[in-house]
Amino acid sequence: MSVKLEKVVETFYENLEQGRITGRKCKQCGAVEFPPVYACNSCGSTDMEWVEISGKAKMYSIVMPAPLSMKPEYKSLGKFAYGEVEIEEGARLNAVVRGMTKKKRKEIMENKKLPVSCHAAIYQRDGYKTVVFDLDEEQ
Amino acid sequence: MDSVMNETKVHPYSRGVSIIGVGCTPFMYTVDNPETNGLTEGEMFGYAALQAMEDAGVNPQKVDFYFHGEASPLNGSNYLTPNIQVANWFGMKGKASIHHSEACCTGYYAVEEAVNAVASGKYNCVLSGCVEFGDSLAVPGHPYKREKMTMDKFLKTTSWLYDRNYTRSLMAGQELIYDDAAEWYKRTRGLTDQQMDDTLNRMCINNRRNASVNPLALERRTYEDIAKEKGFDNVMDYMRSPYNPQMGDFLRASGVELKCDGAAAVIVCATELVDRYMGNKNHKAVEVLGTGCAACEATTPHFEVSATKEAVRQVYEVTGVKPEEIDIFYANDFIITSHLISAEIAGYLPYGEGWKYICEGRTAYDGDKPINTNGGRTSFGHAHAASGLADLYEAVRQMRGEAGAGQVKFLPKTAMLRGYGGAQNICTYIIRTAE
Ligand SMILES: [Zn+2]
Repeated sequence: MSVKLEKVVETFYENLEQGRITGRKCKQCGAVEFPPVYACNSCGSTDMEWVEISGKAKMYSIVMPAPLSMKPEYKSLGKFAYGEVEIEEGARLNAVVRGMTKKKRKEIMENKKLPVSCHAAIYQRDGYKTVVFDLDEEQ
Repeated sequence: MDSVMNETKVHPYSRGVSIIGVGCTPFMYTVDNPETNGLTEGEMFGYAALQAMEDAGVNPQKVDFYFHGEASPLNGSNYLTPNIQVANWFGMKGKASIHHSEACCTGYYAVEEAVNAVASGKYNCVLSGCVEFGDSLAVPGHPYKREKMTMDKFLKTTSWLYDRNYTRSLMAGQELIYDDAAEWYKRTRGLTDQQMDDTLNRMCINNRRNASVNPLALERRTYEDIAKEKGFDNVMDYMRSPYNPQMGDFLRASGVELKCDGAAAVIVCATELVDRYMGNKNHKAVEVLGTGCAACEATTPHFEVSATKEAVRQVYEVTGVKPEEIDIFYANDFIITSHLISAEIAGYLPYGEGWKYICEGRTAYDGDKPINTNGGRTSFGHAHAASGLADLYEAVRQMRGEAGAGQVKFLPKTAMLRGYGGAQNICTYIIRTAE
């Protein structure tokens, strides 16, 4: 049996403490699970290895925070949006992208510039670190 | 590359299953009214269950098993096994049951589970019911008193809908529930900000018009009347005003569920045994042709859209029904946008045109493409688990021509219902009146 009873979640967060953003790559099909889990959702294999992700990413949709989707602790993110993000290794997830404003979104949407480039960053929350993305400068 | 989405091949039932009885309480704020303040889980569930049995012409002792749905039994009722706590209320003492919760999708899985239990051949006749006190909490230590649910208490429990390991930490999945579908629709169909806002508002207006002629609905005052009272001649001016504030990126206050209390139930039996069970009842049975189900955890991009596409694909494939055969459509629209996007994904409304049908009023109960004729979650109300079965109750009444003032302008023969909820399950099914 190839599946191991192991602490994937704790490892992910400990890697963040050491400045490394990690996922798990399927040795069978090459798909990367991010955030990391046991089995590959693309082919079902459990033959997975830890990999550091490059951090390069693209944002495919933009939703601005609003009263219903804002919490007091999100204030320290500065300007940000929610959206669909694809990391360079192929995984797609819903994520926070800092640096997005309503004005920037308007410009991006009017000029059909989606997807826009962004990159992963480690962000300190209350008691642990997590992953957010930052909009790349050129937009 | 698109987000990873595994597909399921669904097979036909081992035998046909039909709906022979439905029951539903009014949707209400029980605590606010002295006549309803103090109603209990057993009384609410029991009423809906017994009404469904009476409607079917079935004595409780003929029912083999029951399913019980409640989205939040621990928080709302202080129960871990809520199915057992209502067991003695409707004449089925000693019979087996099971509780399930898929949050806001519970009332749709209630149909899936009951149908599977009969289609397998194990049971001939099954009750499936759901109850929820979405607006109040059991007072600990008291036998029946309840207290109003505050928004703080409600939001504390909704956070439990999301994955603790990654989703809550990443901060996006749980917040995208409000606006992701609107963003997706607006971008992919090329609507302007104004067109999107008007479409969302029109759905709320249509839902309320439907509720205004439904005696079981929670909110029955039309937006036209409310607008007049506030001094607006044009209802759309009211909908765009600070009286209807922007609560999401796209969503306004009118597009958010009205959480409340309610219960609903259905009786299903093997199609081959309909005559035996229904006795002298002369309404037609409604057959469940098939269901399609999918789920996307909230960190999955466009979770509602992706899971709805897959569930709809399954149900059309297994039933062979074509989108143009659907006469009436229901969507769990606790976020109003669901109503538009699910109807369009299901092909009930044409691609890219659904918003126009809505803005022209064609999806109201008296239009040619009716949706959520009971008033939907923003007007009929949302008693979380029970809402799905309340939709089925309404669909069956429409298909029998028993919907009274809210009856659609033709007799619908085939209906599709699409459930959504629980961050996020999708369950969709097609029902058709027996020949
Ligand atoms: Zn793989």
